[in-house]
Amino acid sequence: MPDEPVAVLSEVARTYGGVPVLESVSLGFVPGVTAVVGPNGSGKSTLLRVLVGATEPTAGEVTLPGATGPRPIGYLPQRVPFREGFTARETLAFYARLVGDDPDAALERVGLGDAGDRRVEALSGGMRRLLGIAQSVLGDPSLVALDEPASGLDPGMRERAFRAAAERADADTAVVVCSHALDLVDEHADRVVLLRRGEIAAAGPLDRLLDEHDAADARALYLAVTGEAAGQAGGEGSEGGAEGEDESDGDETEPAVHVTGVSDR
Amino acid sequence: MTGPLIGVATVFRRELATVVRTPGYGVLAVGLFLVVVGLLAAGGGGATGFVPAVVDLLLPTEVLVPLVAVVLGYRALLSDAESGELAVIRTYPVRVGEYVVGVLLARTVALVAVVGVPYALVGGVVWLTAAPDTGIFATHAGVDSPVLFVRFLAFVLLLGAAYVSLAAAVSALAASRRSAIALGVLALVAGVLGGDLLLLRSLDAGTSPATIPGSLALTPNGAFRGLVFEHVIGVAFAPEGEFVATGRAVGSLVVWPLLGAVVSGAALAYGRRVDAAIEELRSGFGG
Repeated sequence: MPDEPVAVLSEVARTYGGVPVLESVSLGFVPGVTAVVGPNGSGKSTLLRVLVGATEPTAGEVTLPGATGPRPIGYLPQRVPFREGFTARETLAFYARLVGDDPDAALERVGLGDAGDRRVEALSGGMRRLLGIAQSVLGDPSLVALDEPASGLDPGMRERAFRAAAERADADTAVVVCSHALDLVDEHADRVVLLRRGEIAAAGPLDRLLDEHDAADARALYLAVTGEAAGQAGGEGSEGGAEGEDESDGDETEPAVHVTGVSDR
Repeated sequence: MTGPLIGVATVFRRELATVVRTPGYGVLAVGLFLVVVGLLAAGGGGATGFVPAVVDLLLPTEVLVPLVAVVLGYRALLSDAESGELAVIRTYPVRVGEYVVGVLLARTVALVAVVGVPYALVGGVVWLTAAPDTGIFATHAGVDSPVLFVRFLAFVLLLGAAYVSLAAAVSALAASRRSAIALGVLALVAGVLGGDLLLLRSLDAGTSPATIPGSLALTPNGAFRGLVFEHVIGVAFAPEGEFVATGRAVGSLVVWPLLGAVVSGAALAYGRRVDAAIEELRSGFGG
């Protein structure tokens, strides 16, 4: 797998209401699956929003040296935002038309081929999220950023959502996933970025981090690095709350005092 | 179709489908029709001819059409931003300008349906029921004619288009639905009353009345009213002097929608940077 980064964050910072949410984050995202994990309010969603250009950083810059094509970036926000009143097929058709893609093929890819005629508001939370994943990979983007794709789903659906996302990662495509589902991180992630209070606490290949912290799995790694039990990390996955019960970092949470993190580039 | 046209057409199609699937807009059109018919019945002008009907409708139209236009436009650009879908749309190859044009075109088409159809129906009713005979297509002053009502309808739609665009600009600047409503009401009141109040104030301050035809044309309502007096009502009685500078008034009703589109585009294109800049300043002051 080549190590050329698809996207690079350089000294990125972001504040909300004067309160730092991201501080001096430098990272390179290479092809493969990168999981961004951390406690609630650690800045995961803000990191992803900055990465895709949805939020302007207050300092630093984002470059996309390896992101090419008509749609270099695919994005699924934490709250799947599709307009009500449209069917799943119509929703994807709108986006697919912009990049010359096939909405039916996209529905099939995530297993929603039979749900194309159902209205968005009639889809379950999991199906809506799968629809969001189908949208995020339309146009074959080089960088796919997914904010908690398995949030609020039952065990079968969260595995399906995560797998659908991970399958997009190849030699040219970087998939970046914010997640609290550490079992799925273990299963699918090639690299991990651990955020703590807006700074990078650890980052690198999952295997290397496990060795360095003498951790058996991602949950133990999380505990070792953040000092918090992963169960405290929030409700993604089978225990999860309803869709939309998000981590609320960014402008909805005031982070506590920050400590210096480790910046991995 | 190529690049920008695909973006505009795709956004337009989605926006128009949204409008068509919103039952409230149908109710709005029916309500407007009933109000306009009621006004005509109360005023009695509709029973006499097109010009008397226009006289009855002129003042209420200056309030009703901007109101309907603001209802159509006040969330036009806010809804995607509020739901988070705009952040998704922006990862696709559609520029802010294409997005704004697509949304505005669809909302303007909606205005043509919601406002144009009720007014056209009212015109049809006048044609069928008014006495004396209104079926003469006037080619000279002093004769009532359906052509005059068609002109009135064209000016009505231009006025509405200006307000749709301004309301969309408001929706691009607003941070929430509540602030969009507040800004929309403010824009409505400023548009309907503000121009006339400024004109009166300038006359009070000693400005020559000879400047009225020029300055009246600067606001959407003034331009609309002036054009209706000049090219609809005035045709029937050949007035002395002009009510409004026609070229300037038409230009005004074209420029206002463009201005709304530009403000909308700028707000969406630079809003995030402005937000980040404000945050930087805030952080700087904070420490």
